[in-house]
Amino acid sequence: MQPGHRSNAKLSLAIPQTATATERCQPAIQVSNLSIVFDTHHGQLIAVDRVSFDVPHGEFVCIVGPSGCGKSTVLNTIAGLEEPFEGEILVEGLPVHRPRPDVGMVFQQPHLFPWKSVRRNIAHGPRMLGKSAQQANAIADDLIAIVGLKRFADAFPNTLSGGMQQRVAIARALANQPRVLLMDEPFGALDAQTRAVMQDNLLELRNRIKATIVFVTHDIDEAIVLADRVLIMSAGPGRILRQLNVELPRPRSNAILLEPAYLALKKDCLDVIRAEGLRAFRQSDEA
Amino acid sequence: MALDEALTADQGDGRVRARRDAGRLQRLNILIGALSVPAFVLLWELVARSGIVNIVLFPPPSVVAVAIFEWMRSGQFFLDLTASLYRVTTGFTVGAALGIFLGIMTGQFPVVSSLLSPLFHILRPIPPIAFVPIVILWFGLSETGKLFLVVWGVFFTVWLSTHIGVQKVDRGLIRAALMLGTPRRQMLQEIIMLGALPYIVVGLRTAVSISFYTLVAAELAGTFAGIVYRIEIAQQNLQTGQVMGGLAALGLISFAADRMFAAFAERTVWWR
Repeated sequence: MQPGHRSNAKLSLAIPQTATATERCQPAIQVSNLSIVFDTHHGQLIAVDRVSFDVPHGEFVCIVGPSGCGKSTVLNTIAGLEEPFEGEILVEGLPVHRPRPDVGMVFQQPHLFPWKSVRRNIAHGPRMLGKSAQQANAIADDLIAIVGLKRFADAFPNTLSGGMQQRVAIARALANQPRVLLMDEPFGALDAQTRAVMQDNLLELRNRIKATIVFVTHDIDEAIVLADRVLIMSAGPGRILRQLNVELPRPRSNAILLEPAYLALKKDCLDVIRAEGLRAFRQSDEA
Repeated sequence: MALDEALTADQGDGRVRARRDAGRLQRLNILIGALSVPAFVLLWELVARSGIVNIVLFPPPSVVAVAIFEWMRSGQFFLDLTASLYRVTTGFTVGAALGIFLGIMTGQFPVVSSLLSPLFHILRPIPPIAFVPIVILWFGLSETGKLFLVVWGVFFTVWLSTHIGVQKVDRGLIRAALMLGTPRRQMLQEIIMLGALPYIVVGLRTAVSISFYTLVAAELAGTFAGIVYRIEIAQQNLQTGQVMGGLAALGLISFAADRMFAAFAERTVWWR
């Protein structure tokens, strides 16, 4: 099945794909030995140091780490927005060099086109891939219903709240039916209540889209609530410290935040992060 | 009145009084605003007729009004107006189109910018009026010369604001568009153009008044019809009323043009 291809007019976001032979044996995303070096005024800065990880099809992975650990850089590189880099990135078996329509991205800021209505923002992607206005609008209307913004289909972004704008941004990223959805702290700019609602919405949405999701955040709670697997990154240089499988039952919601199994996992995460923090502190002290 | 005050006191609510006072103040301000121009005209009439000033050099508004009326009745006003408006609109259109096109080119393509920007930055600070002598040498008193001056004045303002606007387009929008598979052509025509539009529109509005400045220079340089030309002829004939009438007409036209453009701008960049 082609990325962005739609078999029938009615949007069936719930996996129209049957796994092909290649899908079964190869992960959706393969990152091997990824290193990224930035030139700064103070010389070269190793932002990301030999990071390797795979993401199987349909998995929801969260990357957590302190600000400046290079987690967003890793995500941008998978998106094809960051060059040059060392190492290899394969998405659906193909090396990444530039943005691809089968990879969708949601940024920390919604970055909606301010001159377009909600519907036309979401229809933008399908239009760019050669769909007729009618087809693109049909896709947009289905997604508008899914993210619960039917009343706002013809509204312009500047009239929407931050949470609603971000829902439009998610719908827009899904309009091209991406195989991989990258999310860069998409709820980071929202207030705590809206963020919890958005997390629950995303968990619900995830049951309908079967895209592989890589979600970057600095919030450990958010990572554990959402993810199948959490990658913990350290700062300076960015490295993967530990991977944790989140074996909490689904469907989940923010309600699990107080369950013992959840708290045990969170303790594991915090131990790793605290140990790394101490190590980094001692190192800087000695240096 | 007493009852009124008693009521206010009874309610003991200072806010009601405050609101009433604010309303009174606002009405007073509107009244004063409406009286501003008539009061000024009346003062002018009185001073001009009082004998303190030379009535030939400083005619009262009634004389100016008669001059304007004569100007209109003779049909000359309409000819002057069309001549001037034609120069401003064609000059503005050509200069703005050139400015937007080259602004997008230099803003988007570093090679084009390296080639043209240094040249434009050297030419831009020279006041367009300073080009009048050479324009007369090149084009004589022809319409091409007039057009050249207006285009010259408009172009640099629009070019610079477009150039800056293109460079200030939100990178986030561009990245989002890239992730959605927006091809290069669409990126330039839609995302960059509309992203830069708020800046372009500000440049265009500034250019509206600049086109009137340059019109003055162009018509003073010598021509056969036009509002400013009429002012100059009237000055040579010591028709001071006509001179002032011309000034008033010029002020009104350029005011109307600015207002119309502001309304147009608000519609074009409604999302701002």
